[in-house]
Amino acid sequence: MQWAILSGIEGNLAAYEAVLTDIKRQRQPVTDLYILGDLVGLQGDSEAVVRRVRSPQPGEPMPQVCTGWWEEQCFSLHGIRGLPDAPELVERYGLEAVKDLWEAVSRQTVQWLADLDFGFHELDCLLIHGSTVSYGDELTPETPPIQLCDRLIRADANTLFCGRSGLAFECWVEPGALRSTVTTLDQTAVPQEQGQEPKKSPRRIVGVGNVGRQGYQPSYVLYNPGTDQVSFKCVQYGPARGFGAARSKK
Amino acid sequence: MKLAVISCIHGNYEALNAVLSDIDAHKADQIYCLGDLVGYGPQPNAVVELVRSLDIPTCQGCWDEDIVEGLNACDCSYPSQLAEKRGHLAHEWTNQAIHPEVREYLASLPMTLRQDNLCFVHGSPNSQHEYLLPTMDGFAALERVLAAEADVLFCGHTHIPYLRELENGTLSVKVQQPGQSETQHQFTAPLKRIINAGSVGEPRHGRPNATYVLYDTDSTQVTLREVPYDYQKTCAAIIEQGLPPIFAWRLARGMEFAERAEDAGHVCER
Repeated sequence: MQWAILSGIEGNLAAYEAVLTDIKRQRQPVTDLYILGDLVGLQGDSEAVVRRVRSPQPGEPMPQVCTGWWEEQCFSLHGIRGLPDAPELVERYGLEAVKDLWEAVSRQTVQWLADLDFGFHELDCLLIHGSTVSYGDELTPETPPIQLCDRLIRADANTLFCGRSGLAFECWVEPGALRSTVTTLDQTAVPQEQGQEPKKSPRRIVGVGNVGRQGYQPSYVLYNPGTDQVSFKCVQYGPARGFGAARSKK
Repeated sequence: MKLAVISCIHGNYEALNAVLSDIDAHKADQIYCLGDLVGYGPQPNAVVELVRSLDIPTCQGCWDEDIVEGLNACDCSYPSQLAEKRGHLAHEWTNQAIHPEVREYLASLPMTLRQDNLCFVHGSPNSQHEYLLPTMDGFAALERVLAAEADVLFCGHTHIPYLRELENGTLSVKVQQPGQSETQHQFTAPLKRIINAGSVGEPRHGRPNATYVLYDTDSTQVTLREVPYDYQKTCAAIIEQGLPPIFAWRLARGMEFAERAEDAGHVCER
Protein backbone atom coordinates (compact mmCIF):
# COMPACT_ATOMS: atom_id res chain seq x y z
CA MET A 1 0.00 0.00 0.00
CA GLN A 2 1.31 3.43 -0.91
CA TRP A 3 -0.47 6.77 -0.78
CA ALA A 4 0.26 9.83 -2.88
CA ILE A 5 -0.88 13.00 -1.11
CA LEU A 6 -1.00 16.37 -2.76
CA SER A 7 -2.63 19.78 -2.49
CA GLY A 8 -2.81 23.17 -4.19
CA ILE A 9 -3.28 22.37 -7.87
CA GLU A 10 -4.97 25.78 -8.19
CA GLY A 11 -6.11 25.26 -11.78
CA ASN A 12 -2.67 24.22 -13.03
CA LEU A 13 -3.55 21.21 -15.20
CA ALA A 14 -0.05 20.76 -16.64
CA ALA A 15 1.44 20.53 -13.15
CA TYR A 16 -1.20 18.00 -12.10
CA GLU A 17 -0.50 15.90 -15.21
CA ALA A 18 3.22 16.00 -14.39
CA VAL A 19 2.50 14.70 -10.88
CA LEU A 20 0.24 11.95 -12.23
CA THR A 21 3.01 10.89 -14.60
CA ASP A 22 5.49 10.81 -11.73
CA ILE A 23 3.06 8.80 -9.61
CA LYS A 24 2.73 6.21 -12.38
CA ARG A 25 6.53 5.92 -12.54
CA GLN A 26 6.89 4.82 -8.92
CA ARG A 27 8.43 1.39 -8.44
CA GLN A 28 6.01 0.67 -5.62
CA PRO A 29 2.58 1.31 -7.13
CA VAL A 30 0.48 4.11 -5.64
CA THR A 31 -2.75 2.56 -4.38
CA ASP A 32 -4.48 5.68 -3.04
CA LEU A 33 -4.42 9.29 -4.18
CA TYR A 34 -5.48 12.05 -1.78
CA ILE A 35 -5.93 15.65 -2.85
CA LEU A 36 -6.08 18.00 0.13
CA GLY A 37 -8.04 20.82 -1.46
CA ASP A 38 -7.33 23.84 -3.64
CA LEU A 39 -8.16 22.18 -6.95
CA VAL A 40 -9.26 25.56 -8.22
CA GLY A 41 -7.66 29.00 -8.17
CA LEU A 42 -7.28 32.23 -10.09
CA GLN A 43 -4.71 31.02 -12.61
CA GLY A 44 -4.92 28.28 -15.22
CA ASP A 45 -8.01 26.28 -16.05
CA SER A 46 -9.87 25.25 -12.91
CA GLU A 47 -12.72 23.64 -14.84
CA ALA A 48 -10.28 21.41 -16.75
CA VAL A 49 -8.57 20.37 -13.49
CA VAL A 50 -11.89 19.41 -11.92
CA ARG A 51 -12.86 17.42 -15.04
CA ARG A 52 -9.49 15.61 -14.97
CA VAL A 53 -9.76 14.85 -11.25
CA ARG A 54 -13.25 13.47 -11.70
CA SER A 55 -12.26 11.32 -14.67
CA PRO A 56 -9.07 9.38 -13.95
CA GLN A 57 -7.61 7.39 -16.80
CA PRO A 58 -7.54 3.59 -16.73
CA GLY A 59 -4.97 2.42 -14.17
CA GLU A 60 -5.03 5.69 -12.21
CA PRO A 61 -6.46 5.64 -8.69
CA MET A 62 -9.70 7.56 -8.18
CA PRO A 63 -8.60 10.68 -6.25
CA GLN A 64 -10.13 11.26 -2.84
CA VAL A 65 -10.57 14.99 -2.60
CA CYS A 66 -11.35 17.30 0.31
CA THR A 67 -12.08 21.02 0.23
CA GLY A 68 -9.44 23.71 0.57
CA TRP A 69 -9.17 27.49 0.97
CA TRP A 70 -10.03 28.26 -2.66
CA GLU A 71 -13.07 26.00 -2.63
CA GLU A 72 -14.31 27.79 0.51
CA GLN A 73 -13.97 31.12 -1.33
CA CYS A 74 -16.18 29.70 -4.09
CA PHE A 75 -18.79 28.60 -1.52
CA SER A 76 -18.76 32.07 -0.03
CA LEU A 77 -19.12 33.73 -3.46
CA HIS A 78 -22.02 31.48 -4.43
CA GLY A 79 -23.73 31.85 -1.04
CA ILE A 80 -23.43 28.13 -0.29
CA ARG A 81 -21.77 28.51 3.12
CA GLY A 82 -19.60 30.79 5.20
CA LEU A 83 -19.74 34.57 5.09
CA PRO A 84 -21.27 36.05 1.91
CA ASP A 85 -19.21 37.88 -0.74
CA ALA A 86 -15.89 36.18 0.05
CA PRO A 87 -14.36 38.79 2.40
CA GLU A 88 -11.22 36.65 2.87
CA LEU A 89 -10.66 36.55 -0.88
CA VAL A 90 -11.12 40.31 -1.20
CA GLU A 91 -8.78 41.01 1.70
CA ARG A 92 -6.05 38.79 0.29
CA TYR A 93 -6.33 39.27 -3.48
CA GLY A 94 -8.45 42.40 -3.96
CA LEU A 95 -11.88 43.00 -5.51
CA GLU A 96 -10.71 41.95 -8.97
CA ALA A 97 -10.24 38.40 -7.67
CA VAL A 98 -13.97 38.11 -6.98
CA LYS A 99 -14.77 38.54 -10.67
CA ASP A 100 -11.89 36.29 -11.73
CA LEU A 101 -12.87 33.43 -9.43
CA TRP A 102 -16.54 33.79 -10.34
CA GLU A 103 -15.62 33.35 -13.99
CA ALA A 104 -13.05 30.61 -13.36
CA VAL A 105 -15.40 28.17 -11.60
CA SER A 106 -18.93 27.44 -12.79
CA ARG A 107 -21.91 27.13 -10.48
CA GLN A 108 -22.23 23.47 -11.44
CA THR A 109 -18.61 22.79 -10.45
CA VAL A 110 -19.03 24.71 -7.19
CA GLN A 111 -21.98 22.47 -6.36
CA TRP A 112 -19.83 19.38 -6.95
CA LEU A 113 -17.06 20.87 -4.78
CA ALA A 114 -19.58 21.60 -2.01
CA ASP A 115 -20.23 17.87 -1.60
CA LEU A 116 -16.57 17.09 -0.91
CA ASP A 117 -15.39 16.12 2.55
CA PHE A 118 -13.71 18.51 5.00
CA GLY A 119 -10.95 15.93 5.55
CA PHE A 120 -10.31 12.20 5.89
CA HIS A 121 -9.45 10.04 8.88
CA GLU A 122 -7.64 7.02 7.47
CA LEU A 123 -5.79 4.50 9.66
CA ASP A 124 -4.07 6.69 12.29
CA CYS A 125 -3.81 9.68 9.96
CA LEU A 126 -5.86 12.79 9.37
CA LEU A 127 -5.67 14.22 5.86
CA ILE A 128 -7.00 17.77 5.66
CA HIS A 129 -6.33 21.10 3.95
CA GLY A 130 -5.69 23.26 7.06
CA SER A 131 -6.51 21.58 10.35
CA THR A 132 -9.64 20.66 12.29
CA VAL A 133 -9.64 24.26 13.56
CA SER A 134 -10.21 25.72 10.11
CA TYR A 135 -9.56 25.29 6.39
CA GLY A 136 -7.44 28.45 6.69
CA ASP A 137 -5.21 27.19 9.51
CA GLU A 138 -1.72 27.45 8.04
CA LEU A 139 0.67 25.08 9.76
CA THR A 140 4.38 25.46 8.98
CA PRO A 141 7.66 24.50 10.67
CA GLU A 142 7.62 28.03 12.13
CA THR A 143 4.24 27.53 13.85
CA PRO A 144 4.69 27.65 17.65
CA PRO A 145 5.31 24.11 18.99
CA ILE A 146 2.39 24.29 21.43
CA GLN A 147 0.07 25.11 18.53
CA LEU A 148 1.39 22.16 16.51
CA CYS A 149 0.86 19.94 19.56
CA ASP A 150 -2.68 21.26 19.98
CA ARG A 151 -3.54 20.60 16.33
CA LEU A 152 -2.36 16.99 16.70
CA ILE A 153 -4.42 16.51 19.86
CA ARG A 154 -7.48 17.94 18.13
CA ALA A 155 -6.82 15.80 15.04
CA ASP A 156 -6.91 12.66 17.16
CA ALA A 157 -4.30 11.21 14.81
CA ASN A 158 -0.65 10.23 14.89
CA THR A 159 0.06 11.90 11.56
CA LEU A 160 -1.65 15.03 10.32
CA PHE A 161 -1.17 15.62 6.58
CA CYS A 162 -2.00 19.18 5.55
CA GLY A 163 -1.65 21.40 2.53
CA ARG A 164 -2.58 24.95 3.44
CA SER A 165 0.95 26.36 3.67
CA GLY A 166 2.06 24.81 0.36
CA LEU A 167 5.32 23.85 2.07
CA ALA A 168 6.85 20.39 2.17
CA PHE A 169 7.97 19.42 5.67
CA GLU A 170 7.80 16.76 8.35
CA CYS A 171 7.51 18.03 11.90
CA TRP A 172 7.76 15.57 14.77
CA VAL A 173 6.19 16.82 18.01
CA GLU A 174 7.02 15.11 21.27
CA PRO A 175 5.22 16.31 24.40
CA GLY A 176 7.52 16.15 27.42
CA ALA A 177 6.59 16.74 31.03
CA LEU A 178 3.66 18.80 32.25
CA ARG A 179 2.32 19.16 35.77
CA SER A 180 -1.39 19.90 35.96
CA THR A 181 -3.07 20.66 39.28
CA VAL A 182 -6.82 20.96 39.46
CA THR A 183 -8.74 22.40 42.40
CA THR A 184 -12.54 22.21 42.54
CA LEU A 185 -15.09 23.11 45.20
CA ASP A 186 -15.00 19.52 46.46
CA GLN A 187 -11.39 18.56 45.82
CA THR A 188 -8.25 20.48 46.70
CA ALA A 189 -5.18 20.55 44.47
CA VAL A 190 -4.70 17.19 42.76
CA PRO A 191 -1.36 17.30 40.87
CA GLN A 192 -1.04 15.08 37.83
CA GLU A 193 2.13 14.56 35.86
CA GLN A 194 1.75 14.22 32.11
CA GLY A 195 4.60 12.85 30.01
CA GLN A 196 5.88 10.37 32.60
CA GLU A 197 7.03 6.85 31.63
CA PRO A 198 5.90 5.13 29.51
CA LYS A 199 6.34 8.11 27.24
CA LYS A 200 3.95 8.72 24.38
CA SER A 201 5.42 8.30 20.92
CA PRO A 202 6.06 11.53 19.06
CA ARG A 203 3.42 12.49 16.55
CA ARG A 204 3.93 14.47 13.39
CA ILE A 205 2.54 17.04 11.03
CA VAL A 206 3.41 16.63 7.37
CA GLY A 207 3.15 19.51 4.91
CA VAL A 208 2.48 17.94 1.52
CA GLY A 209 3.88 20.77 -0.63
CA ASN A 210 1.88 22.16 -3.52
CA VAL A 211 1.28 21.15 -7.11
CA GLY A 212 0.34 24.28 -8.96
CA ARG A 213 1.61 27.35 -7.17
CA GLN A 214 5.26 27.28 -8.18
CA GLY A 215 6.03 27.30 -11.87
CA TYR A 216 7.10 23.92 -13.25
CA GLN A 217 8.10 22.45 -9.88
CA PRO A 218 5.13 20.68 -8.36
CA SER A 219 5.73 18.86 -5.09
CA TYR A 220 3.81 16.14 -3.29
CA VAL A 221 4.44 13.32 -0.82
CA LEU A 222 4.36 9.55 -0.89
CA TYR A 223 3.41 7.74 2.29
CA ASN A 224 3.79 4.07 3.02
CA PRO A 225 1.42 3.15 5.89
CA GLY A 226 3.25 -0.17 6.32
CA THR A 227 6.62 1.41 7.09
CA ASP A 228 5.23 4.80 8.23
CA GLN A 229 7.75 6.48 5.91
CA VAL A 230 7.09 9.80 4.18
CA SER A 231 9.01 10.68 0.99
CA PHE A 232 8.98 14.15 -0.49
CA LYS A 233 8.72 14.35 -4.24
CA CYS A 234 9.54 17.33 -6.40
CA VAL A 235 8.72 16.96 -10.10
CA GLN A 236 10.20 19.05 -12.88
CA TYR A 237 8.42 19.55 -16.16
CA GLY A 238 8.20 22.12 -18.94
CA PRO A 239 11.02 24.59 -19.67
CA ALA A 240 12.69 24.05 -16.27
CA ARG A 241 13.25 20.36 -16.94
CA GLY A 242 16.44 18.58 -17.93
CA PHE A 243 19.92 19.74 -18.88
CA GLY A 244 18.81 23.28 -19.70
CA ALA A 245 17.26 23.67 -16.26
CA ALA A 246 20.38 22.40 -14.55
CA ARG A 247 22.50 24.84 -16.54
CA SER A 248 20.25 27.76 -15.78
CA LYS A 249 20.61 27.14 -12.04
CA LYS A 250 24.37 27.72 -12.13
CA MET B 1 -6.53 44.37 43.92
CA LYS B 2 -9.34 41.93 44.55
CA LEU B 3 -11.36 40.82 41.51
CA ALA B 4 -14.67 38.99 41.49
CA VAL B 5 -15.40 37.02 38.30
CA ILE B 6 -18.93 35.90 37.56
CA SER B 7 -20.35 33.95 34.61
CA CYS B 8 -23.41 32.20 33.23
CA ILE B 9 -26.13 34.11 35.06
CA HIS B 10 -28.79 32.82 32.67
CA GLY B 11 -31.61 35.15 33.60
CA ASN B 12 -31.54 34.21 37.28
CA TYR B 13 -32.00 37.51 39.11
CA GLU B 14 -32.23 35.96 42.61
CA ALA B 15 -28.87 34.23 42.20
CA LEU B 16 -27.21 37.36 40.81
CA ASN B 17 -28.44 39.45 43.74
CA ALA B 18 -27.10 36.91 46.24
CA VAL B 19 -23.70 36.75 44.51
CA LEU B 20 -23.42 40.54 44.33
CA SER B 21 -24.10 40.71 48.08
CA ASP B 22 -21.39 38.11 48.70
CA ILE B 23 -18.95 40.04 46.48
CA ASP B 24 -19.79 43.19 48.45
CA ALA B 25 -19.14 41.37 51.72
CA HIS B 26 -15.70 40.32 50.42
CA LYS B 27 -14.91 43.90 49.40
CA ALA B 28 -13.93 43.14 45.82
CA ASP B 29 -12.54 46.13 43.93
CA GLN B 30 -13.70 45.10 40.49
CA ILE B 31 -16.20 42.66 39.00
CA TYR B 32 -15.82 40.98 35.60
CA CYS B 33 -18.59 38.99 33.92
CA LEU B 34 -17.93 36.22 31.38
CA GLY B 35 -21.29 36.35 29.63
CA ASP B 36 -24.40 34.20 29.21
CA LEU B 37 -26.54 36.79 30.93
CA VAL B 38 -29.65 35.31 29.30
CA GLY B 39 -31.12 31.92 28.39
CA TYR B 40 -32.78 29.18 30.49
CA GLY B 41 -33.83 31.61 33.28
CA PRO B 42 -36.97 33.71 33.69
CA GLN B 43 -35.55 37.26 34.24
CA PRO B 44 -33.19 38.07 31.33
CA ASN B 45 -34.09 41.79 31.17
CA ALA B 46 -33.69 42.37 34.90
CA VAL B 47 -30.30 40.60 34.90
CA VAL B 48 -28.98 42.65 32.00
CA GLU B 49 -30.27 45.89 33.51
CA LEU B 50 -28.55 45.13 36.83
CA VAL B 51 -25.22 44.22 35.17
CA ARG B 52 -25.38 47.39 33.06
CA SER B 53 -26.32 49.61 36.00
CA LEU B 54 -23.21 48.43 37.84
CA ASP B 55 -20.96 48.99 34.80
CA ILE B 56 -19.58 45.46 35.05
CA PRO B 57 -17.19 44.76 32.15
CA THR B 58 -18.80 41.78 30.39
CA CYS B 59 -17.83 39.57 27.47
CA GLN B 60 -20.31 37.86 25.18
CA GLY B 61 -21.45 34.33 25.99
CA CYS B 62 -22.81 31.71 23.60
CA TRP B 63 -26.43 32.39 24.62
CA ASP B 64 -25.92 36.14 24.24
CA GLU B 65 -24.49 35.50 20.78
CA ASP B 66 -27.35 33.22 19.79
CA ILE B 67 -29.94 35.80 20.84
CA VAL B 68 -28.19 38.41 18.70
CA GLU B 69 -27.25 36.27 15.70
CA GLY B 70 -30.06 33.71 15.81
CA LEU B 71 -29.57 30.02 16.61
CA ASN B 72 -26.75 29.01 14.36
CA ALA B 73 -24.95 26.17 16.10
CA CYS B 74 -25.39 22.64 14.78
CA ASP B 75 -26.90 19.85 16.90
CA CYS B 76 -23.40 19.27 18.30
CA SER B 77 -24.27 21.76 21.05
CA TYR B 78 -26.64 19.32 22.72
CA PRO B 79 -26.24 15.85 24.19
CA SER B 80 -29.55 14.62 22.82
CA GLN B 81 -32.42 15.62 20.57
CA LEU B 82 -34.62 16.18 23.64
CA ALA B 83 -32.06 18.54 25.14
CA GLU B 84 -31.81 20.33 21.81
CA LYS B 85 -35.59 20.74 21.67
CA ARG B 86 -35.68 22.19 25.19
CA GLY B 87 -32.77 24.49 24.35
CA HIS B 88 -34.66 25.78 21.33
CA LEU B 89 -37.77 26.40 23.46
CA ALA B 90 -35.68 28.41 25.92
CA HIS B 91 -34.12 30.33 23.06
CA GLU B 92 -37.52 31.18 21.57
CA TRP B 93 -38.89 32.27 24.95
CA THR B 94 -35.86 34.49 25.63
CA ASN B 95 -35.92 35.87 22.10
CA GLN B 96 -39.53 36.98 22.62
CA ALA B 97 -39.01 38.27 26.15
CA ILE B 98 -35.97 40.50 25.85
CA HIS B 99 -36.28 44.22 25.23
CA PRO B 100 -34.73 45.79 22.10
CA GLU B 101 -32.16 47.74 24.15
CA VAL B 102 -31.13 44.51 25.90
CA ARG B 103 -30.55 42.87 22.53
CA GLU B 104 -28.49 45.86 21.43
CA TYR B 105 -26.43 45.66 24.60
CA LEU B 106 -25.77 41.93 24.09
CA ALA B 107 -24.72 42.65 20.50
CA SER B 108 -22.19 45.21 21.72
CA LEU B 109 -20.37 42.85 24.08
CA PRO B 110 -16.76 41.97 23.22
CA MET B 111 -15.51 38.38 22.90
CA THR B 112 -12.54 39.03 25.15
CA LEU B 113 -11.60 41.33 28.01
CA ARG B 114 -8.10 41.97 29.35
CA GLN B 115 -6.44 43.38 32.40
CA ASP B 116 -2.63 43.21 32.47
CA ASN B 117 -1.69 39.51 32.32
CA LEU B 118 -5.31 38.36 32.75
CA CYS B 119 -7.67 37.43 29.94
CA PHE B 120 -11.41 36.93 30.29
CA VAL B 121 -13.48 34.84 27.84
CA HIS B 122 -16.75 32.93 27.95
CA GLY B 123 -15.77 29.53 26.52
CA SER B 124 -12.21 29.72 25.19
CA PRO B 125 -10.13 32.24 23.26
CA ASN B 126 -11.27 30.41 20.10
CA SER B 127 -15.00 30.35 20.58
CA GLN B 128 -17.82 31.08 23.02
CA HIS B 129 -18.97 27.50 22.41
CA GLU B 130 -15.78 25.64 23.33
CA TYR B 131 -15.73 23.94 26.75
CA LEU B 132 -12.44 24.07 28.66
CA LEU B 133 -13.04 21.10 30.91
CA PRO B 134 -10.62 20.38 33.79
CA THR B 135 -9.97 16.96 32.23
CA MET B 136 -8.87 18.41 28.88
CA ASP B 137 -5.37 17.38 27.76
CA GLY B 138 -2.86 19.56 29.61
CA PHE B 139 -1.01 20.67 26.49
CA ALA B 140 -4.26 21.61 24.73
CA ALA B 141 -5.28 23.59 27.83
CA LEU B 142 -1.86 25.27 27.87
CA GLU B 143 -2.29 26.22 24.23
CA ARG B 144 -5.52 28.07 25.04
CA VAL B 145 -3.80 30.21 27.70
CA LEU B 146 -0.84 30.91 25.41
CA ALA B 147 -3.19 31.73 22.52
CA ALA B 148 -4.80 34.32 24.79
CA GLU B 149 -1.31 35.80 25.45
CA ALA B 150 -2.07 35.73 29.17
CA ASP B 151 -0.79 34.17 32.36
CA VAL B 152 -4.26 33.64 33.73
CA LEU B 153 -7.25 32.74 31.56
CA PHE B 154 -10.69 33.18 33.13
CA CYS B 155 -13.48 31.22 31.48
CA GLY B 156 -16.99 29.98 32.19
CA HIS B 157 -19.40 27.97 30.01
CA THR B 158 -19.00 24.61 31.83
CA HIS B 159 -20.99 25.84 34.88
CA ILE B 160 -18.54 24.07 37.21
CA PRO B 161 -15.84 26.23 38.84
CA TYR B 162 -12.24 25.08 39.02
CA LEU B 163 -8.68 26.28 39.15
CA ARG B 164 -6.15 24.53 36.93
CA GLU B 165 -2.44 25.24 37.23
CA LEU B 166 -0.17 24.13 34.39
CA GLU B 167 3.57 24.16 35.05
CA ASN B 168 6.86 22.72 33.83
CA GLY B 169 5.42 22.12 30.36
CA THR B 170 8.04 20.98 27.86
CA LEU B 171 7.80 19.99 24.19
CA SER B 172 10.40 19.05 21.63
CA VAL B 173 10.00 19.52 17.90
CA LYS B 174 12.12 17.97 15.14
CA VAL B 175 11.75 19.39 11.64
CA GLN B 176 12.80 17.88 8.34
CA GLN B 177 12.45 19.72 5.06
CA PRO B 178 13.64 18.53 1.65
CA GLY B 179 17.13 19.81 0.89
CA GLN B 180 17.71 21.09 4.40
CA SER B 181 19.39 19.59 7.42
CA GLU B 182 17.24 18.45 10.32
CA THR B 183 16.54 21.00 13.06
CA GLN B 184 15.40 20.40 16.60
CA HIS B 185 14.16 22.77 19.25
CA GLN B 186 12.74 22.67 22.74
CA PHE B 187 9.80 24.60 24.12
CA THR B 188 9.27 25.31 27.80
CA ALA B 189 6.17 27.02 29.18
CA PRO B 190 6.09 29.05 32.39
CA LEU B 191 3.31 28.61 34.95
CA LYS B 192 -0.11 29.29 33.44
CA ARG B 193 -3.52 29.16 35.09
CA ILE B 194 -7.07 28.56 33.94
CA ILE B 195 -9.76 29.76 36.32
CA ASN B 196 -13.31 28.71 35.60
CA ALA B 197 -15.81 30.99 37.30
CA GLY B 198 -18.61 28.41 37.44
CA SER B 199 -22.17 29.66 37.10
CA VAL B 200 -24.20 32.19 39.03
CA GLY B 201 -27.62 31.23 37.71
CA GLU B 202 -27.46 27.64 36.49
CA PRO B 203 -24.86 25.76 38.56
CA ARG B 204 -23.99 22.19 37.63
CA HIS B 205 -21.58 21.16 40.38
CA GLY B 206 -24.14 19.02 42.16
CA ARG B 207 -25.69 21.59 44.49
CA PRO B 208 -28.12 24.44 43.76
CA ASN B 209 -25.85 27.18 45.18
CA ALA B 210 -24.56 29.92 42.90
CA THR B 211 -20.81 29.89 42.20
CA TYR B 212 -18.20 32.47 41.23
CA VAL B 213 -14.51 33.20 41.97
CA LEU B 214 -12.43 35.79 43.77
CA TYR B 215 -8.90 36.53 42.54
CA ASP B 216 -6.30 38.63 44.30
CA THR B 217 -3.96 40.15 41.71
CA ASP B 218 -1.26 40.83 44.33
CA SER B 219 -1.11 37.42 46.02
CA THR B 220 -2.55 35.51 42.97
CA GLN B 221 -4.79 33.70 45.45
CA VAL B 222 -7.92 32.13 43.96
CA THR B 223 -11.06 31.49 46.01
CA LEU B 224 -13.90 29.45 44.55
CA ARG B 225 -17.11 30.75 46.12
CA GLU B 226 -20.41 28.94 46.60
CA VAL B 227 -23.36 31.11 47.61
CA PRO B 228 -26.72 29.80 48.83
CA TYR B 229 -29.78 31.71 47.61
CA ASP B 230 -33.53 31.23 47.35
CA TYR B 231 -33.42 29.06 44.24
CA GLN B 232 -37.01 27.96 44.78
CA LYS B 233 -38.11 31.47 43.91
CA THR B 234 -36.37 31.19 40.54
CA CYS B 235 -37.77 27.68 40.03
CA ALA B 236 -41.28 29.01 40.62
CA ALA B 237 -40.67 31.85 38.14
CA ILE B 238 -39.45 29.34 35.51
CA ILE B 239 -42.73 27.43 35.83
CA GLU B 240 -44.85 30.60 35.90
CA GLN B 241 -43.22 31.94 32.74
CA GLY B 242 -43.92 28.70 30.86
CA LEU B 243 -40.30 27.70 30.41
CA PRO B 244 -39.62 23.92 30.27
CA PRO B 245 -40.15 22.63 33.86
CA ILE B 246 -36.98 20.52 33.59
CA PHE B 247 -34.98 23.76 33.92
CA ALA B 248 -36.50 24.26 37.38
CA TRP B 249 -35.89 20.62 38.26
CA ARG B 250 -32.20 20.73 37.41
CA LEU B 251 -31.71 24.19 38.95
CA ALA B 252 -32.98 22.79 42.24
CA ARG B 253 -30.39 20.00 42.05
CA GLY B 254 -27.41 21.77 40.48
CA MET B 255 -27.40 18.99 37.93
CA GLU B 256 -24.02 17.93 36.63
CA PHE B 257 -23.47 17.16 32.96
CA ALA B 258 -26.83 18.57 31.91
CA GLU B 259 -26.98 20.01 28.40
CA ARG B 260 -23.28 19.56 27.69
CA ALA B 261 -22.25 18.65 24.18
CA GLU B 262 -20.97 15.11 23.72
CA ASP B 263 -17.79 16.32 22.12
CA ALA B 264 -16.70 19.09 24.44
CA GLY B 265 -13.83 20.12 22.19
CA HIS B 266 -15.99 20.55 19.12
CA VAL B 267 -16.06 24.08 17.78
CA CYS B 268 -19.11 24.62 15.64
CA GLU B 269 -18.28 26.71 12.60
CA ARG B 270 -21.83 27.04 11.37
